Amino acid sequence: MTLDLMTYYRHMLRIRHFEEACLSGVASGEIHGELHTAIGQEAIAAGMVGILRDDDALVSTHRNHGHGIAKGVPLEPMLAEIFEKETGLCGGFGGHMHLFDPDRLFSTTGIVGATLPVALGHAYAAFLDGSDAVAVAVSGDGGVNTGGFHESLNLAGALKLPLVVLVENNDWAISVVSSEVSAVGSAERAPAYAAWGTRVDGTDPAAVAVAFAEAVARARRGEGPAIVEATAQRFRGHYEGDPDLYRTPELKEAMAAKDPLVIARRELEAQGIGTDHLDDLVAESQAQIDAILARVRAAEQPDPSRAHDHVFTGGVA
Amino acid sequence: MTTATDTPMLSPSFNLSRVIADAIKLEMEADERIVVLGEDVGRQGGVFGSTRGLQKAFGDRRVRDMPISEMAFTGMGVGLAMSGYRPMIEIMFVDFIGVCLEQVYNAIAKNPYMSGGRVPMPVVIKTAGGCIGSAAQHSQCLWGTFAHLPGMHVVAPSSPYDAKGLMAAALRSDDPVIYIEHKGLLLSKLGDFPHGAEVPKGRYTVPIGEAATVRDGRDVTIATLSASVRDALVAADELAGQGIDVEVVDLRSVVPLDADHVAASAARTGRLLVVDEDYLGFGLSGELITRVLELLGPGALRGIARHGVANVPIPAARSLEQAVVPGSASIAAAVRELVARG
Ligand SMILES: Cc1ncc(C[n+]2csc(CCOP(=O)(O)OP(=O)(O)O)c2C)c(N)n1
Repeated sequence: MTLDLMTYYRHMLRIRHFEEACLSGVASGEIHGELHTAIGQEAIAAGMVGILRDDDALVSTHRNHGHGIAKGVPLEPMLAEIFEKETGLCGGFGGHMHLFDPDRLFSTTGIVGATLPVALGHAYAAFLDGSDAVAVAVSGDGGVNTGGFHESLNLAGALKLPLVVLVENNDWAISVVSSEVSAVGSAERAPAYAAWGTRVDGTDPAAVAVAFAEAVARARRGEGPAIVEATAQRFRGHYEGDPDLYRTPELKEAMAAKDPLVIARRELEAQGIGTDHLDDLVAESQAQIDAILARVRAAEQPDPSRAHDHVFTGGVA
Repeated sequence: MTTATDTPMLSPSFNLSRVIADAIKLEMEADERIVVLGEDVGRQGGVFGSTRGLQKAFGDRRVRDMPISEMAFTGMGVGLAMSGYRPMIEIMFVDFIGVCLEQVYNAIAKNPYMSGGRVPMPVVIKTAGGCIGSAAQHSQCLWGTFAHLPGMHVVAPSSPYDAKGLMAAALRSDDPVIYIEHKGLLLSKLGDFPHGAEVPKGRYTVPIGEAATVRDGRDVTIATLSASVRDALVAADELAGQGIDVEVVDLRSVVPLDADHVAASAARTGRLLVVDEDYLGFGLSGELITRVLELLGPGALRGIARHGVANVPIPAARSLEQAVVPGSASIAAAVRELVARG
């Protein structure tokens, strides 16, 4: 179920360049709310590519862009939504933490821990439908300590529902070190929920793919829930503007060595791929995102007279 | 409440967060039963810095970083209070109250009553509310939600002076207090506040449940709170140039609500506009206007209006957000409309 490293490298480049485009929107003031990027964690989302079907649900967090890309959400409307434009996935009503692509059963929430219960609902719907679709909930290492995590996994285990929980473990929940406030790791909790659990190196997209594909396959076969914990580092502050003083310069330097793009590139070079070719890939990816960004920038913000649309299905508050 | 002129003052270069941290520190020094639990309150000192320095000063037994387990650590507030402590629970953003509202409104707010007065709940829930451009799940006020549920005092200061004094009052209160800071004010420097910018270094309290007039005027009363006070003052300056003299009343507390103060002001000016950054329907504005009319009689005022977030979630796009969240321009427009009616 794994793709070749070159393909993963391209996916990771696309996610990195997408995230950097978002950073430019904060700098310019086009994005006026909080922004959380997954720079440093791209290998996890890249490892998910190609494993889920359109009818599998994916419910992600505040740090969600890579997951949307992995689920096949079109880049331009996603970027436009993050840039608060009327051409966005949700017309500019939702914004970066509240992306919805119902065609691909992709949604996100800004409330930590709120992904699992929603994914559990998708999983129960698959059960009611008699379908072999699965539901994936993303959580950070901080989100695993919410009540919703326990309640949802318990229910999924009891009913053998196809819930896959992907835990992105970047060690930190803002300034709190998760290991200091967690009795055990996330993967270790699996037996308590009759779930399958594993921990993988989240800077290695192929390793993520193997584990994630296994979890999805088991859930699809009706073998119940799974927890896949992938370790990686968050390079930027929790959100753009976070002074990030809780992490020392030494720690940040050590983290930089875990850049999945650098690691993949080094490996590709070792395989004999030429630097020029790799540089071309980077330029190609950048050009693609730049073209999307230019169109997003040119789009309008939603008309203020529409602010009360969508409160109810009839449109009027 | 009055401060002598020779009282040492906090530096105008401090931001509001630092004033709040200072208030908590002074109360913790005076009362060792105060403990602080919340996400990022320790090592980081709060995402806005409003608990900075407390863990260093009091250690991690009294100031403890919590996992993202709001239900657990809000419930801990109940048990700690019943064991004789005076917990301050920080819910980072008021928007997250949903996950622990159970412990707040069924235990913290009701235990004193259900126990026939035998179990007081000296708990402070400190939380940041208000709009910061982060859309539907991160830009709400929700003071009206707490106010609707019996058993909690609710305060939402607008100025540094009140922020410190109300925090001290909250920590000394034997009743539960929901203390709502405004996300948009916490990083502002004292010198940038239009009112209440001078903050004494020592301990003092601002009484919970008392409104204050922050600008005198003859033609119309704006009653509001939190960051909208600043916006109302900006609007008032603009309107002064157009011949409309606005009085601005800062409610400061939502529960108890100082309707007497507002009624007295409105009776003088003849017009009342309630500005509320919280949702309009079934909330503070309707409550306040009702109470004022109960006090003054139904025909006492020439004009009454309210301006709030008209029952719509906070949208992401700036264009939409400005259309639904009150700001100085929309407040000025609401005043002009009220005055134009007669
Ligand atoms: C219920 C709730 N509590 C607190 C927050 C504030 N908050 C947003 S993200 C975050 C940390 C999340 O850490 P983690 O789950 O590890 O994800 P990461 O940010 O590291 O990707 C916190 C505390 C929130 N959004 N929702």
